[in-house]
Amino acid sequence: MTSIQLEQLDVDGAIRESLHAVAEDTRGGFLRKAVVAGGGLVGGGAALAALAAPAGAQSASDVNILNFALTLEFLEAEFYTRAERAGALKGRLRRFAQVVGEHERAHVAALQDTLGGSAVKKPKFDFQGTTDEPQLFAATAITLEDTGVAAYKGAAPSIQSGAVLTAAIGIHSVEARHASWIRHILGQPPSPEAFDMPMSVSQVLAAVQGTGFIAGPIMTRQGVAPAFLG
Amino acid sequence: MPDELRLEVLDRDGAIRDALEEASGSSRATFLKTAVVAGGTFVAGGVLVGGLPKLSVGAPSAAQDAKILNFALTLEYLEAEFYTQAEANGRLRGETAQFASVVGAHERAHVEFLQGALGSKAVKKPRFNFGDTVRNPQMFQKTALTLEDTGVAAYNGQAGNLTKETLAAAAMIVSVEARHAAWIRDILKTNPAPAAVDEGQSRQQILSAVNDTGFIQA
Repeated sequence: MTSIQLEQLDVDGAIRESLHAVAEDTRGGFLRKAVVAGGGLVGGGAALAALAAPAGAQSASDVNILNFALTLEFLEAEFYTRAERAGALKGRLRRFAQVVGEHERAHVAALQDTLGGSAVKKPKFDFQGTTDEPQLFAATAITLEDTGVAAYKGAAPSIQSGAVLTAAIGIHSVEARHASWIRHILGQPPSPEAFDMPMSVSQVLAAVQGTGFIAGPIMTRQGVAPAFLG
Repeated sequence: MPDELRLEVLDRDGAIRDALEEASGSSRATFLKTAVVAGGTFVAGGVLVGGLPKLSVGAPSAAQDAKILNFALTLEYLEAEFYTQAEANGRLRGETAQFASVVGAHERAHVEFLQGALGSKAVKKPRFNFGDTVRNPQMFQKTALTLEDTGVAAYNGQAGNLTKETLAAAAMIVSVEARHAAWIRDILKTNPAPAAVDEGQSRQQILSAVNDTGFIQA
């Protein structure tokens, strides 16, 4: 499927050939593995696989960042999963929710694997009706994805582990693709500025809390608040 | 200045330049001047150069940042010139014309930013030949898609090699490249976000892919 796409896109086949020659795990290979593995998407991507290092291998600082990311990914994944289940989306919006929901669930699974017993639990969510109505869904998706881009961008330079950074930066640009896609569907500028600005953890938390989507406490499995909450 | 550009294209991982600088004790500027003056000599040196050991990427440092930013600048020159020429040729219509105009302005801003960051260390703009890809709208779209996806993979592949400060700056660019990629993909009705993670590519992988397009003229 992906190789057909590449053939259509690649002007003279040269780029594809040289990328295939040098890269063992091309995007095509990655997707093929993901399809074969089914739910095993997490194990298929080199970057996500690298993220799923032995639990406990991360520094306290990285655990904190990973839990912050996991909280945002829980929010995104649950938003798309519920929107899909609600069944109100049609056409391009429906496909967007399916594809992006799958990505966000893969991000959640990878982060959970990496964090092991240190992972925060999934909070209770209340999406205030935004998953049941197409226009509200689309407007909310733009905000969630733009915020996701800014959140990963703000956190990336503080990540200590090379494997965690590689995975986080690989997720970061996918969130940007999602943001651009939903903006394009809504007829808004997909790429409004030449530079995307970062947001700090506290800026992101304030924005997320402003939505009222997180309806319960954010807790670790040990029943305490994670460090990123301050 | 084609020799200078050629050097960037040939110098897959910076090992050539490092080794030559070390051997001759000459500064980078002097070396480049020599390469420009020597012209064809550089090509003849290819065999010798090919036999040098590869230098692995080291821990992040200001010197390594400069090398990586020059690699990024070369790709941004390529993108910026591609859109500028396509726009100047005036064959694009509708949303594709709008895409070229908006994205072209972004890529030119990236060039300016990287030139500013590198100062006198910045590589010069190569000469380009984009053939029909800047005239035929369909070829333009397909090439834009490949260039933007390649830009994302190039920046993502270098994230771990940069100092934290430079990483913060590069991250402000890479997500914009990803937005461009998703935009042109959606225009072409191709999945805008084809994987859950955008895998990075090494500098060598990117340069050989770019080299094979023939867009950069020696």
